[in-house]
Amino acid sequence: MIRQSFHQELAQLEQELIRMGALVEDQLRRAVRSLTDRNITLARQVIEEDDRVDAMEMDIERRCLTLLALQQPLASDLRVVSTALKIITDLERMADHASDIAKVTVRLNQEPLIKPLVDIPEMARIASSMVRLALNAYIHRSIEEAMTMIRLDDDVDHLYARVFRELLDIMRTRPDTVAQGTYLLFVANYIERVADHATNLGEWVIYMVTGQRKELND
Amino acid sequence: MAPDIEVDSLDVWYGQARALKEVTLHLGPGKVLALIGPSGCGKSTFLRVLNRMIDRAPQVRVKGAVRVGAFEVLAGDVDVTALRRTVGMVFQQPNPFPMTIFDNVAYGPRIAGLRQMAKLRQTVEDSLKKAALWDEVRGKLRRSAMSLSGGQQQRLCIARALAVNPQVLLLDEPTASLDPVSTAKIEELIVQFKTHYTMVIVTHNLQQAARVSDAVAFFEHGRLVEMGPTHDIFTAPRERRTEEFLTGRV
Repeated sequence: MIRQSFHQELAQLEQELIRMGALVEDQLRRAVRSLTDRNITLARQVIEEDDRVDAMEMDIERRCLTLLALQQPLASDLRVVSTALKIITDLERMADHASDIAKVTVRLNQEPLIKPLVDIPEMARIASSMVRLALNAYIHRSIEEAMTMIRLDDDVDHLYARVFRELLDIMRTRPDTVAQGTYLLFVANYIERVADHATNLGEWVIYMVTGQRKELND
Repeated sequence: MAPDIEVDSLDVWYGQARALKEVTLHLGPGKVLALIGPSGCGKSTFLRVLNRMIDRAPQVRVKGAVRVGAFEVLAGDVDVTALRRTVGMVFQQPNPFPMTIFDNVAYGPRIAGLRQMAKLRQTVEDSLKKAALWDEVRGKLRRSAMSLSGGQQQRLCIARALAVNPQVLLLDEPTASLDPVSTAKIEELIVQFKTHYTMVIVTHNLQQAARVSDAVAFFEHGRLVEMGPTHDIFTAPRERRTEEFLTGRV
């Protein structure tokens, strides 16, 4: 029966999406580690791997468009496919940010850090756990899990505000730190954006389950 | 002015078999309602109640209240001829009469007493234009309707229905026997007719329902499972049965 093969293709699509999500989560972790460990080789790997994420995005997008064109899904099937299309865009952006962070590692080279990195790795830890939780929410079709994005995004936002203030203070008192301070601000901002994209994933999961669009970060 | 349609606790039996069970719904004026559901779910029966075509079925019993504009459709004293003039119908198979194109369209107005040739010509032209057939048949009006293609015949049937100035159009799988180009023309007509006529269309083509309708009603085993705005039904239906039907999980 034709619908059975369609549902198999939907299941495959979900597998691909989860694989892409896992890769993006890994990219983010490794990008921040490259910065804290000052590991330029690792940073270059992250930058190169971004092409893989882009390829996965294009592949999943092609699958979705084929399913839309050939199977014309409706109701929950339509929501699964359209959610996948939206989620891969968020995932791809997150991977771009991971790559951006890795580029900062390369740019700073072995230059001594103007401050020990504490909050930035913590922000990254929360943001990458958000990616994993959002994907779990997707797999489990769980609104509750998707809703956890709200609190975690708040945590990241608070840390971001703190990092912002601290770096600004350092740059004000030591003008020679402005270049690196700005790069680190960028990094904090990239991570904050990743958390926003993860929050979007939560919103898409809620849409997929309920058919309702709900803003999780306002 | 297109009328609204109100149905309250409608039951239909064919002998012992209950074809519709307590169907209640309301359709606003000038709206297009698509009826969907598996074969035998009662959607064609529902359509046939609206202009009392159902009367022709053997051993049929109908209970409940159906109002189309000012017509109490099931009332004993309703003028069925006037009702059917107000509520036109187009069928799955194009069914032109074996006569000329002109006479097909003029048939209804003539029965209604229109004799003046100039007015009759105008009515035929207007109706064929509304049905987007005029450009293809002008100058050929004396040819047999049977010489037209299937898609043209169906648009002729629509012109014939329009010629008596209906306010409601019932369409029973109007494109089931047509090719994609003819289907697109009919769908385009339905979209253009919106607001001028209240329309109810039975279709097995869910994409067609999505393209042309404002509201969708899902029927199953004679019951109205769910009715709602087309966008809502096709993206996030409320009822599990609708969900299963739309996703092919039945």
